[in-house]
Amino acid sequence: MKVAILQMEGTNCEEESYIAFKESGFEPEYLHINLLKKGMLEKYDMIFIPGGFSSGDYVRAGAIFAARLKAKVWNDLKRFVEEGKPVMGVCNGFQVLIELGLLPGTDGISEEPEAALATNESNRFECRWVYLKKSSDSIFSKHVDDVTTLPVAHAEGRFLADKKIIEKVEEQNQVVFRYVAPDGSKPDYPWNPNGSVNDIAALVNSYGNVFGIMPHPERAFFWYQHPDWNRVKREMGDGWQIFNSLFREIIEAKNR
Amino acid sequence: MNLKKIMDRVYEIDLVNASDEELMEINEEMGLALSLEEMKKMQAFFRELGRNPTDLEVHAIAQGWSEHCSYKSSKPVLRKYIFGIESKEAMIVMQDDAGVVEFDEDYAYAFKIESHNHPSAVEPYGGAATGVGGIIRDVLNMGAKPIALVDPLFFAPPDYGEKLNPGIKHPRYLLNGVVAGIRDYGNRVGIPTVAGITYFHEDYVNNILVNAGCLGIVRKDKIVRSRVDKEGVKLVMVGGRTGRDGIHGVNFASKILDEKSEEEKQAVQLGNPILKEPLIHLVLEANEMGIIYGMKDLGGGGLGSVVGEMCHAGGVGAEIHLDQVLLKEKDMAPWEIWVSESQERMLLAVEEENIDKLRDLCKKWDVEMSVIGETKKDENLRIFWKGRKILDMPLEFVMAGVEYERKYKIKRMKKMQEILPEPKYREVFLRLLSSYNIASKEWIIRQYDHEVQGRTVVKPMQGLIGYETHGDAAVIKPLHHSWKGLAVTTVANPHIAKINPYYGSLYTVDEAVRNLVSVGARPHAFSDGLNFGNPEEEEIMGEFFESCKGLGDAARALGIPYVSGNVSFYNEAFGKNIPPTVVLMAIGIINDIRKAVTADFKREGNIIYLVGETREEMGGSEYYRIMGAKSTVVPKVDLGETKNRSEEILRAMDESLVESCHDVSHGGLAVSLAEMALGGSIGAEIDLSPLGAMRDDFKLFSESPTRWVCEVREENTEKFEEIVKSRRIGVVGGETLKIRDGERWLFNVHLNIMRERWKNALKEYIG
Repeated sequence: MKVAILQMEGTNCEEESYIAFKESGFEPEYLHINLLKKGMLEKYDMIFIPGGFSSGDYVRAGAIFAARLKAKVWNDLKRFVEEGKPVMGVCNGFQVLIELGLLPGTDGISEEPEAALATNESNRFECRWVYLKKSSDSIFSKHVDDVTTLPVAHAEGRFLADKKIIEKVEEQNQVVFRYVAPDGSKPDYPWNPNGSVNDIAALVNSYGNVFGIMPHPERAFFWYQHPDWNRVKREMGDGWQIFNSLFREIIEAKNR
Repeated sequence: MNLKKIMDRVYEIDLVNASDEELMEINEEMGLALSLEEMKKMQAFFRELGRNPTDLEVHAIAQGWSEHCSYKSSKPVLRKYIFGIESKEAMIVMQDDAGVVEFDEDYAYAFKIESHNHPSAVEPYGGAATGVGGIIRDVLNMGAKPIALVDPLFFAPPDYGEKLNPGIKHPRYLLNGVVAGIRDYGNRVGIPTVAGITYFHEDYVNNILVNAGCLGIVRKDKIVRSRVDKEGVKLVMVGGRTGRDGIHGVNFASKILDEKSEEEKQAVQLGNPILKEPLIHLVLEANEMGIIYGMKDLGGGGLGSVVGEMCHAGGVGAEIHLDQVLLKEKDMAPWEIWVSESQERMLLAVEEENIDKLRDLCKKWDVEMSVIGETKKDENLRIFWKGRKILDMPLEFVMAGVEYERKYKIKRMKKMQEILPEPKYREVFLRLLSSYNIASKEWIIRQYDHEVQGRTVVKPMQGLIGYETHGDAAVIKPLHHSWKGLAVTTVANPHIAKINPYYGSLYTVDEAVRNLVSVGARPHAFSDGLNFGNPEEEEIMGEFFESCKGLGDAARALGIPYVSGNVSFYNEAFGKNIPPTVVLMAIGIINDIRKAVTADFKREGNIIYLVGETREEMGGSEYYRIMGAKSTVVPKVDLGETKNRSEEILRAMDESLVESCHDVSHGGLAVSLAEMALGGSIGAEIDLSPLGAMRDDFKLFSESPTRWVCEVREENTEKFEEIVKSRRIGVVGGETLKIRDGERWLFNVHLNIMRERWKNALKEYIG
C-alpha cells in the first residue's frame, strides 16, 4: 500500500502524517508538487493531502494547491479516483479536495467546486479539541468508535453548499463525522467549532473513496497526544482508528 | 556632509577632515545612531589609513558598533553575572545564535529568546511576525529542527483611558495586531506556539514589548556552527531576496521611540512564512546530506553582521561581490544591500564541490540561491561592486566595536507596607480572577496552533476538554522513539522588579523552576530576554545591573546555565522608561512523559497540599495593585528552599504520587486553587488554619515564592508527606470553592461564577 503524501510550500503536517501511515502498515512517500509529473501517480495506491497553509492560503484556502494539481495532473487524478483508489485530505487537504471538485462529489467528480469551507463563524483561527460522532460507515470510518475526540486547528472550516447539494450529501449518507456536544446533544459553539452546516466535520464522495476531514486524525494518533490522557486510558489515539479502518478495509477487500 | 561620487551608487565620505560638528552631521544624515566618541574613533582609523571611507565602509562600521550587534552597554555586566555558569550538559553557550544543550546521548536541543520590541511598537502585525521568523532562523541555523515557539508580550492595560502621546497607538490595537502577526506567521510555518505571557502594566503604554522564543532539536553530529575556519569556502545566500525593507533596523532598535518612529516603517522588515517553510526543509535536508560547513541567519544587521561574525569567529577573512546578491529592487546602493534586514535569508558556507548539490535542493524546494563570495586566509573583509573594491578593512576593527562601563546608580526604596482593613473576601477573590494579568488568555492561546507536529503532549491549556485552565508549562516529546520530553515555560515579573530588580530576578528564576517542576520536569537551561529602558540613564543602568546580579546569583545557586539571550535597551519613549523586564524562557527535562502532571484537579476525595511558606510580603502583588495599596516589601526567595522543595516534588512525581500540581503566583493561593478547580471542573473545600497565625488576606493572596499546590490520592498521602515538606489544606470535591480558616468561613463560590469572571474579563476587550 504505497501512499503519496503530497507536499508544496506551506503544507506543514506531512511528518506526523507520514508517521501515522507508516505505523498503520502503509508505505508512505513524500511527493513534492515540484517533482510531480504526468504518469507518476499511477504507482501509488493512495493519495494523501496533508494540512497546512499551502501557498500561504493568501487567497481562498486550498485554491492554489488545487489549481497547480489541476494544471499538472488533473487527468491522472481523475483516473485515480475513477479507479476507486482512496484519496484523503485533512484540514487544508480537505479544502484542496473541495477546490478540486472531488468533494462533496455527489455525482463523482465535478469540474467546478460545488461547496466551500468558509471562514469560521468566530471569524478567527482556533485550535481546540472537539468531539465527533460517526454518521456513516465508509472505508475510513468502519472501524471507528461511535464517538471520538480529535483536534481542530483552522480559520476556514465551515462547510457551506447550496441546499440541493446538502440534501444530496445527506441523502447519499456522505457525511462521515459530525461535531457533537460531549453529552451527545446537538453542538453549539465551541463544540461545533466553526458553524459548519449540519455540524459536518468530514465527508466522503459518492463513490466512497475520496475523504475529507477538518479535524486532524494524525495529531491524535498516539494516546499521549490526547489532552486528557491522564484521565482516559487508551491503547492508541482516536485518530489511529481512521488509519486503521482504512488499512483493514483495503487489505480485506484485497483478500476477498 | 562632503561626499564625492566615485562610481555608480558609491560615494566617498569626507570623514578625515571633518570637525566634531561635521562628524555628528554625518552621523545624523546617514542615520548611524553613533556617539561622537564613536565617530571620532572611526575618523582616527581612516586618518591612520590616510584615506577617506566609502559610504559602505561607514555604514558597515556603524552596523557593527550598534548596541544591538555589539552589546556595548551590556557586555561588561553580562560577563560578570550571566556568563559562565557551569553545566556539564551545556554544549554551546552564548556563542552562536542559539544555545545548545544535551538532550540525550544522541540528541541536543537548541533554544533562544529574543526581543522584537521597536518594530512591533510601530507596526504590530509585521513586527511581531518577523520577530517569530527571526527566532526560528536562530534555531534553524544550529542545524536544529524548530519544534516549539513561545511569545511573551507586554502592553498597557486594554482599558487604558489616558490621553496617548502623538503617534502612539492604543494597547488594544497593538495587542490585536501582535497576536495576529504571531498567529499568521507561526501557524503558517507549522511550528506549535506552546507557551507565552500576556502581561499588562501602564508603563508599557509608549513602548510595548514583543519577545519571541524558539526551541529546536538536533542530532549531535549534525550541529552546525555559525563560523567558518577555513579559506576558500563559498558563501551562499539562500531564501528571500534583499530589499529596502528593514534598513537600519538595528540602529532603529538602539534608538528611543518618538513621534517620527511612525515614519520609520521602512526599518520594519516584512516576513513571509511561505518562503520560510520550504527554507526550513531545504536547510534541514542539506544539513542531513552533510554539505553545510557553517551557517548563520540574516537577522539584525543583515549581511554585514553575518559575514563579519561568521568569519571573525573562525579567524578568517572574506571577499564579497555585492553585485551577486539577488535584489527585490534593482537600484539598491551597495551599502543598502550590506545592511538590509530583509527576512527569510540565510548565509550558508558550502565547499565548492557541494555547490551543485545545494543547487539541486534549491530547485526542488523552489528557493533562490546565489554564491556571493568566499572566505580568505587573511583577516580582512573586502567587498567588490562591479569589479571595483569599495571596502577593505580588518574584520577585527568592524566587529570588535566598543564597550562601555556605563555609570549606574542603584535606587533603593524605603521599606514600607500599608495594612488594609480586612477586605470582603469573596469580592476581592472575584476581582482578582477578572484582573487582566490573571484572567483567562484562552482567546489568544487558541489562535495559535499548539498541536501541529503532534509533539505537544502537555498542552498550554490543561484540563477537561472544553474547561481547560492555564498550565504552568507545556511538554514536548521531541523524538518518536523516546519517552523523554522537554518542558517549556516563560516567566516575567515586572511588578516586583520595578520595586526591586534584584529580588525581581530571584523571583523570576524561582517561578521558572516552579513552572517546570509543576509538570514534572527538572529545570535544565535558561535563555534570558532582558528588556530595559535607556542605558545612558544611570538609574536604568542600575536596574540592569541589579537584574543581572539577581539572575546570576539565582541560577548559579541552582546550577542552571543561561545558554543564550538577548538585550534590548532604549525601551523608552516620551520620557517614560518601561519597568525592568527580565523574561526567561526556561527548559526542563522530563525523563518519561508518561509521568507528566497537569494543573487541573482530577478526582473527588483527593487531598490538597500546600508546599512552601506563605509570608506577609505584598510588594508587587496583584491584590495590592487592585486595592491601590502600597508596599515595597517584595517576596524574597530562599534558593536553598527552591532547590529542596523542587527535588522533593520531583521525587514524589517520579513515584506517581501527584495527581495535579500548580504553582502559586499571581493572585496567590486563592487564584491557584481556582484555576485548578476550573480546569478539572470540580470544586474543593479548603481550611487555611494549617498556615498558622496570619491574617487571611495574606494567606489567600500573598505571592510568596517557592510554593505549589499538589493533589494527592488519599491512599498516597502517607508516602507523599514523607517525601514532600507540605501542609494538608483541603479536599477535592463539589461544585464550589469553599474556603475557611478554622471555624471562620471566608467564601464559597460556585465554579460557574468563577469561570464566568475568569473567562470573560479579557475577551470583553479584545474578542
